[in-house]
Amino acid sequence: MRNMSRGICLLALLSLVLFASGCSKKNVGQVDEEVTPPQQELGTRAPGGDMGMEMPGSDGGVQSTPQAGALAGAAAFEDRDIYFDYDKFSIRPEDRKILAEKAGYLNANPNAKARIEGHCDERGTSEYNLALGERRAKAALDYLVFLGISRDRLTTISYGEEKPVDVAQNEEAWAKNRRAHFDILGD
Amino acid sequence: MKKILAVIVIITGLLPSLLMAEPVHIDIEARGFKRLKVAMPAFAGSRALADSIRSICAKDLEISGAFSLIDPKGYVNPGPMSFVDPSSLPGWNLIGADYVIAARVDVQDSLVNLVIQAVELSTSRVLINTVYTTKADTAYRAVHAFMDSFLNKTLGLDPLFSSKFVAVQKIGKKKQLYTVWCDGTGAAPIKGGGELVLDPAWSPDGKKIAFVSYWRNNPDLYVLDIASFKVDTISSYRGINTTPAFDTSGRKIACTLSKDGDPEIYMMDRDGKNPLRLTNSWAIDTSPSFSPDGKRLVFCSSRAGNPHIYLMDVFSRKADRITFQGTYNTEPVFSPKGDLVAFTYLSKPDGRYHIALIRPDGSGMRVLQGTGKGDESPTFSPDGRLVAFTSTDGNIYITDLIGSFTARVTAGGGFSQPSWSKALE
Repeated sequence: MRNMSRGICLLALLSLVLFASGCSKKNVGQVDEEVTPPQQELGTRAPGGDMGMEMPGSDGGVQSTPQAGALAGAAAFEDRDIYFDYDKFSIRPEDRKILAEKAGYLNANPNAKARIEGHCDERGTSEYNLALGERRAKAALDYLVFLGISRDRLTTISYGEEKPVDVAQNEEAWAKNRRAHFDILGD
Repeated sequence: MKKILAVIVIITGLLPSLLMAEPVHIDIEARGFKRLKVAMPAFAGSRALADSIRSICAKDLEISGAFSLIDPKGYVNPGPMSFVDPSSLPGWNLIGADYVIAARVDVQDSLVNLVIQAVELSTSRVLINTVYTTKADTAYRAVHAFMDSFLNKTLGLDPLFSSKFVAVQKIGKKKQLYTVWCDGTGAAPIKGGGELVLDPAWSPDGKKIAFVSYWRNNPDLYVLDIASFKVDTISSYRGINTTPAFDTSGRKIACTLSKDGDPEIYMMDRDGKNPLRLTNSWAIDTSPSFSPDGKRLVFCSSRAGNPHIYLMDVFSRKADRITFQGTYNTEPVFSPKGDLVAFTYLSKPDGRYHIALIRPDGSGMRVLQGTGKGDESPTFSPDGRLVAFTSTDGNIYITDLIGSFTARVTAGGGFSQPSWSKALE
């Protein structure tokens, strides 16, 4: 009895499979549905045929772009960078003298404002390096404030690993890229 | 006996609909999963277009992580072939195929008709038999629609090929945004935004992209509305405004601000209002990513001396370190299911970056093979089965959660920081 019902079950399943496959075979060569996929494509709908983004306001670059050589002696101020150890943002002892010279320049030119750029080497990931570059610029800023320069004459900007001075992939190049750079903004 | 028969009839009567409605579920995340084999003879019709559409199908099978294409050299009939002749099925079975895909491509004026068919050999069923009509220059959209349907009808998977990457593209010294479908089709640079654009992140509905630009000579946060190409400023505090990440509701953005002195994690409304500081450490805190329920965040912090991955409870702001291997772990991202965190891991033995996965409780860390040449910036596929990243050659690659394959998506290089969208409409 048990064997029999199992046999019937198998038969039923078998016929079902045959039925299903038979059904689908009829469809071969025919089409079940017609579909028009969405055509939406970024960049093709930009206003005025221009594929550029509409950024808010002006880029404000005029006020804060460094003006090289705007003040006497500014070139010397801007030419000397300070450097950092790998994945570190502490000021090296040998760079304290350079920062003291920069403080001296800023004291002699009370209207001058300075912008400090923080940079990293290409090792490491770019998100983390943007933060690390910020810490390096801030470390230089803090040291200048410690030397008596008013906080509101100083700004920082981190470029992370985006602006290397040397694109070679060796320790010498990386050491050059782990830097803080100083610009005079004029007034 | 009659009763038994009646039951059998009822059960068998139900079976066809069950077979149709419930695709077989195979745990394709399990280790040792064997890819299903697909035979795909040359498509019939307009020659050049038929070949190019077939090659997109082949690419999509490769990056699906679930299928592999049988080498056409072994086919009894290599095509061109518009449909699968029922009498040819034993021949496909013989070469070990699980599925056969055949198609015909015709061009009419500026429209392309793709008649495409997928047959399941184990059941001899025609799974898909559809005409897709598209504009000629976006014919790959027909492939995406077909492949998403194929993934669904074979394995019950969610749509994959109707998703895009946004990434940073380097051109000369300039960096701009770039979008491309996840199989490398339909590449579209997004111009504007100044000289340096970084950290793109999709909103969960795929309608907006948050990014960082130096447009006003400071790394500020912006959000691009894709339909209008309008950009809103979200955050432009003094210092860095970087690494935006939407929560899954799209109402909140987590990011890094250094306005209080050093880089800290903040959470704000999507328009930048009500910034709330979440971290408080002397060290670098950056790269937040929300869990799917929005209650937790993973982020990168150097508070232990080196960058490591931390998990924070957003409500209590209590953060626990979850990586203890390695000395440089960055760029964490939560998986869409919330069961894994992917991050960039610096391996001491080979001195290279790899994509690694870890459970949010810090257990089960595994390193994915990837390209082996230096892999960074992981991002999960919308269904969480795959991970994309960029390698040192500047191209986007896709791998699965066990690293069983690595497929290149872009060509030419110059790409970084990919973000994978949800399935787009």
